[in-house]
Amino acid sequence: MHSNGLFLQDVSGFLGVYYTSIALMNGVAAVLLWRNSQQKGGFLWSVIWAITACVMLVLASFALSGVAEMVPALPAVVRDIVNKLSGPVIYTVGTMVMLTVLFVFREFFVKPMVAWTGLNISLIVMGLSMADENFASIVMKADNVPIVGLVFMLAFFTWLATSQAVVNDRRIAQGLPPTEKLHDEKVLVWPDLVYTELICMIAVSAFLLLWAIYLRAPLEEPASSVKTPNPSKAPWYFLGLQEMLVYFDPWYAGVVLPSLVIFGLMAIPYLDFNKKGNGYYSISERKFSYIVFQFGFLELWITLIILGTFLRGPNWNFFGPFEYWSPYKVAVLNNVDLPQMFWVGLLDQPLPKSPAGSSGLMQAGYILLRESPGLILLGSYLVLLPPLLAVTVFRSFYSKMGLIRYLVMSNLMLLMLSLPLKMILRWTVNLKYLVSIPEFGLNF
Amino acid sequence: MAEQKRPSIAEILAAARAQKKTGETPASEISSDAAPLSGAPIDSVTLPEDASTSVEVSDNQSLAPSKKAAAAGPVTQAPTGSRPSVADILAMSRAKKAAGEDAPAKTPAPKSPAAASKGVASKPASAKPVATAKPTAMPRDTESILSQARSGTKPGPMSKADAPQKIVAPKPVVTAQRSSDPSKGAPTPRTVPPMPIKPVKSTAKADASATEDRRGFLSFAAGSFMAIGFTSLSITTGLFTLGLARFMFPNVLAEPPSRFKVGSKEGFPPGKVETKYVAQFGVWVVNSEFQGVQQVYALKTVCTHLGCTPNWLEAEQKFKCPCHGSGFYKDGVNFEGPAPRPLERYAIRLADDGQLEINKSKTFHEELGQWSDPESYIVS
Repeated sequence: MHSNGLFLQDVSGFLGVYYTSIALMNGVAAVLLWRNSQQKGGFLWSVIWAITACVMLVLASFALSGVAEMVPALPAVVRDIVNKLSGPVIYTVGTMVMLTVLFVFREFFVKPMVAWTGLNISLIVMGLSMADENFASIVMKADNVPIVGLVFMLAFFTWLATSQAVVNDRRIAQGLPPTEKLHDEKVLVWPDLVYTELICMIAVSAFLLLWAIYLRAPLEEPASSVKTPNPSKAPWYFLGLQEMLVYFDPWYAGVVLPSLVIFGLMAIPYLDFNKKGNGYYSISERKFSYIVFQFGFLELWITLIILGTFLRGPNWNFFGPFEYWSPYKVAVLNNVDLPQMFWVGLLDQPLPKSPAGSSGLMQAGYILLRESPGLILLGSYLVLLPPLLAVTVFRSFYSKMGLIRYLVMSNLMLLMLSLPLKMILRWTVNLKYLVSIPEFGLNF
Repeated sequence: MAEQKRPSIAEILAAARAQKKTGETPASEISSDAAPLSGAPIDSVTLPEDASTSVEVSDNQSLAPSKKAAAAGPVTQAPTGSRPSVADILAMSRAKKAAGEDAPAKTPAPKSPAAASKGVASKPASAKPVATAKPTAMPRDTESILSQARSGTKPGPMSKADAPQKIVAPKPVVTAQRSSDPSKGAPTPRTVPPMPIKPVKSTAKADASATEDRRGFLSFAAGSFMAIGFTSLSITTGLFTLGLARFMFPNVLAEPPSRFKVGSKEGFPPGKVETKYVAQFGVWVVNSEFQGVQQVYALKTVCTHLGCTPNWLEAEQKFKCPCHGSGFYKDGVNFEGPAPRPLERYAIRLADDGQLEINKSKTFHEELGQWSDPESYIVS
């Protein structure tokens, strides 16, 4: 951008403070580790964090110099490569792979020093990226700041829970009770809990007040039924839904799936037959529940929110993190319905169409014939797959849950998986809808 | 202590018999209030000679006695009618016993007042139905109230605190009679329970007829206040409704007309997408080819996916929705993104003055085969 130099001068103050905070953070970590240096490797780590703090201070001084060339930034080549590589497919598959790796090697990643290293790396990459105008304009938008906070907070709390679960799993493997059982002293609601809540309430209110004063709420022009802002984004917590709507009809992605999310969450206590893991963190004792929940929450909800917030630009096109949000970006997104693929593409004949002037019943018959491939596919997915799974993968589940509970569970799971499956079908074969009956506004 | 207080069965029975002898009327008055049974005849007071009652009573007198009696009552009492309450019996027997021991000053057993008052306290509630149903209670109370009224002191309903002093005059007499029974040595410390207030209330109503004029005035005044209130309320509501009805038919309609003219056909050369009517009318006027026919049509600017307003991208020759990325060709047919069906058309016609007139009250759906309707386009 032509104003890059000006922008860098603007952002340099912020980056200086940012790097100084990282330096401070690492300095405190080094001091604390130094004090407890009787721990194994404590001395070495404290030296490493002290060095990191010094490097951060150097970066901070570069940033604070205010000279555009001195502000630390990612090289343009790296940014270009990242932009080229990023797309919905890479993003979704990448997050999936990353979460899987984090899960599989959780024993390694929950180590405090490893987690601290990860935090440092992400903060530094963030700071280096912030020197890019396009990146900064999205990330520092008042709307999006909470999402940045969300990413870090979520990572922290997931790490915290996972590390406790890993410790518990280790103890359970040794035949010891989980750590939560060691000190499960009772605490009174009044005054202990109520006071804590009161203090938290006051602190959070004060924080929100200051935030609202410092980062002003972005007001837009008055609403108009004939003008839609471009891009038009839902509130951040609904961006996952908005991303789902790219792949589905409104009634399904906007009504059926959200209701299923709520009802599915409500059904969990009734579907869960695993008595273990009550009141303490554990992954090995509740592997299935843990994986299903984290997949639904982290992959199908949070990553979609992040995608919708940072990577979806004008016309709901996908933009790389360092890409300029041009409303004229051309993306080829042509897609076709399954009947079109089947009748025209595969059988090389026109779509079945009722002759002009035929009765309503006749028309319905022709529509059913036209949509038969999709209906058969969907029917077998939802009707044939559960019994098939019951005799193969979920054999023990079926015997423990009984017919009704098993059917509810399997169908909820299949409907949840319909989202990623539909995404994959859209990316690979440009499929729009499996069943498309626009005559009745019914599409799947 | 407990043994000392507890009277024997024989003593209780003796006391009951003595009670019976003291005269029918006062006893019945008391016992009628005390009797937990409804519909029991009142005239004769006989204590049941059945052992089960007395054994039970002597068993545990610190419990609310009326309860005990009630429990035993239905079995043994049906024919015998009302009788003195267990509390009364106990109090009497204790008094007798004390008299026998020649200790007049220290007579009151510490527990007996409590037990008595307990029993008494629980009585009015259970006695209420009896008191109202019983004919013998009525004349007495009415009489006393009437005498009260005649003496000119405080007519009308009275407070609970006043009631026992002012009306239930006979009561203390009864107790005095009972306590001064020749068979008993010392007076019982037992306090007499206040009469249930119910009869007073019922007679007070009858009494109200005497002062109907003043009450009538009050009720008349109150009634008219209500009348004023409701009248003004209904008037206000009526006016509000009328105003609301007027509001529904405004003089000026702010929204643009659903029928409007967009100039002559020559203003829309082939290939043109006119976007200047979007802001006001929400319509694109397009001159394009559809199924081999060059035609002018009006497309509704509402995405068929979720209702956002797409933008016309001249460079890419497509309508693109900013919400979920649906794309439509120039003829309105969807080809990318999630939109399930083509954009809708408005009715368009050539007006008499040669201008194109668009009618937004009618839409045409491609998926229903309505685009072949001649109302939906004009051949250019």
